[in-house]
Amino acid sequence: MDIRPAVEARDLRKDFSSVTALDGLSLAIHPGEIYGLLGPNGSGKTTFIRTLAGLLRPDAGLVLVFGSTPRAAVACGQVGYMTQAAALYGELSVQENLAFFAALQGVTDVEARIEDALRRVDLLDRRRSIVSTLSGGMRTRVSLAATLLHAPRLLLLDEPTVGVDPALRKEFWDHFRSLAGTGVTILVSSHVMDEASRCDRLGLIRAGRVLAEGSATELIARAGTADLESAFLALSAVQA
Amino acid sequence: MSLRRAGAVARRIVLQFRHDRRSLGLLFVAPIVVLTLVGALWGPSATTSTVRVVSAGDVDPQLFQALRGTEIQLVALDRDAAVEELKAGRADAMVEFADNVATITVEGSDPTRTGSVLGQVQAALTHLILDVPLTSFVKIHYLYGGAGYSLLDYLAPVLIALFGFFFIFLLSTVSFLRERTSGTLERLLASPLTRVELVAGYLGGFAVFALLQAVVILAFTVLVLKVQYRGNLATIFLVEAVIVVGAVALGLAISAFARNELQAVQFVPLVLLPQVFLSGLLVPVAQLNDYLRPLSAIMPLTYANEALRSVMVKGYAVSDPLILRDVGILAAFAAVMAVAAVFSIRREVA
Repeated sequence: MDIRPAVEARDLRKDFSSVTALDGLSLAIHPGEIYGLLGPNGSGKTTFIRTLAGLLRPDAGLVLVFGSTPRAAVACGQVGYMTQAAALYGELSVQENLAFFAALQGVTDVEARIEDALRRVDLLDRRRSIVSTLSGGMRTRVSLAATLLHAPRLLLLDEPTVGVDPALRKEFWDHFRSLAGTGVTILVSSHVMDEASRCDRLGLIRAGRVLAEGSATELIARAGTADLESAFLALSAVQA
Repeated sequence: MSLRRAGAVARRIVLQFRHDRRSLGLLFVAPIVVLTLVGALWGPSATTSTVRVVSAGDVDPQLFQALRGTEIQLVALDRDAAVEELKAGRADAMVEFADNVATITVEGSDPTRTGSVLGQVQAALTHLILDVPLTSFVKIHYLYGGAGYSLLDYLAPVLIALFGFFFIFLLSTVSFLRERTSGTLERLLASPLTRVELVAGYLGGFAVFALLQAVVILAFTVLVLKVQYRGNLATIFLVEAVIVVGAVALGLAISAFARNELQAVQFVPLVLLPQVFLSGLLVPVAQLNDYLRPLSAIMPLTYANEALRSVMVKGYAVSDPLILRDVGILAAFAAVMAVAAVFSIRREVA
């Protein structure tokens, strides 16, 4: 059994000109875990996720994905990254978009994978639709399907449910849970508290540092508050 | 490098164009519209403007005789009226005869027109003085071109290069910028696709359309505008192909400097106009000032123009050292720009 963490970050630091995005961030995420990165805008959530996706090089510290550098893990198809924006080709159909991303990931049974991914996001009937004609929610679903095509072991989801209606949001979370059940590790960033409570473990992040870690229940108990939002505010105040 | 992944990018670009019928249409229609206009302006059917000369005072009837069959239209007026005609722009030159000396006064503000008017009037006066046409003494042989060569025949080689370069450069700049701004580039870079594969895919995808456009431009120039050419069509196409692939690579690299589509479009005159002025299109490179010539030497269109003129007007073969050198320089330019495009894609690999 693989006991290595799926994601390991130690004392990560990343500066953008005069702004410090990551300021000694350390955390570990276990295989098959849904880890929620919870924090306000500008707290460093996206910078950390982009670092794990191999898009940013930390200025200092160590970051490993399944024991390798993030880029190495991305290059061998172990990582799926869903960006905040849908990031699809509007002129192409849903099928053409997915076939393209599948080809980049070296997927062999393309048709079966596309059908499976579209079924999971309930868009099988829109396979031939041109993406620019779809609603925002549908595009988010196509974006998730594109992230799942190559069956990654680590899913990086940067605020995946922004602009998604409550019914679809529930579907997404049911789906994340079923993926985690198959051993997929999921890192999801959010600033929506009710969503965060669905994660196995949470990291409260502020100013590029993890303030506290634990399950939603643990964090509420530690802060002695009634809900997660109050716990987040109380724990932030303690650290400050 | 994975050819499969680069091929996927190229196929995606082709698919995007197939869906975007308007851009696809403009890619082929725009050069044809511009070339049609150029053909009407400078082609063999374009009318030569008549030189209008006013003669002040008495005119020798032999002068009228000498001008018969030329493009010069001579009107005899008294001096004041003749000057007035010249000032009003209704005449191009005024001729006065006194003491066996002919004095020519020209309007003079347009150097090109002045040169043309003086040449024709001097030839006519020589005819009058010698009593025989100048051509009786001077036989003209053409090493290249010929009496039937129009301005279009001379300019067509450089226009082929310029239009091919311009349209595909604009398209590749804006397309790659869209990839950067829409977030899809982020998604691509968070996949196994490498930067080299991405640029190779873009070059491959755009090359399909750039080469098709080159074929359309060349076919229209030769078959419809009936531009005269000597060299091999395949050699002309080879030069055109290398310059358009370079234009795609340049467009990819330049797009890194633009943050939006408006800025990208503003790069077009910055990249293109210096080449229009310094690549031999308007002024031969040999006639440029010493300080402009080094600038001309770093411009790809300079080599495309030289090669295409040498092939089309002078009939040089692909094996000619000059053509090989120019094609080699253009290929090197495309390669350098492709490398620049790779480095312009900023990914800090963790």
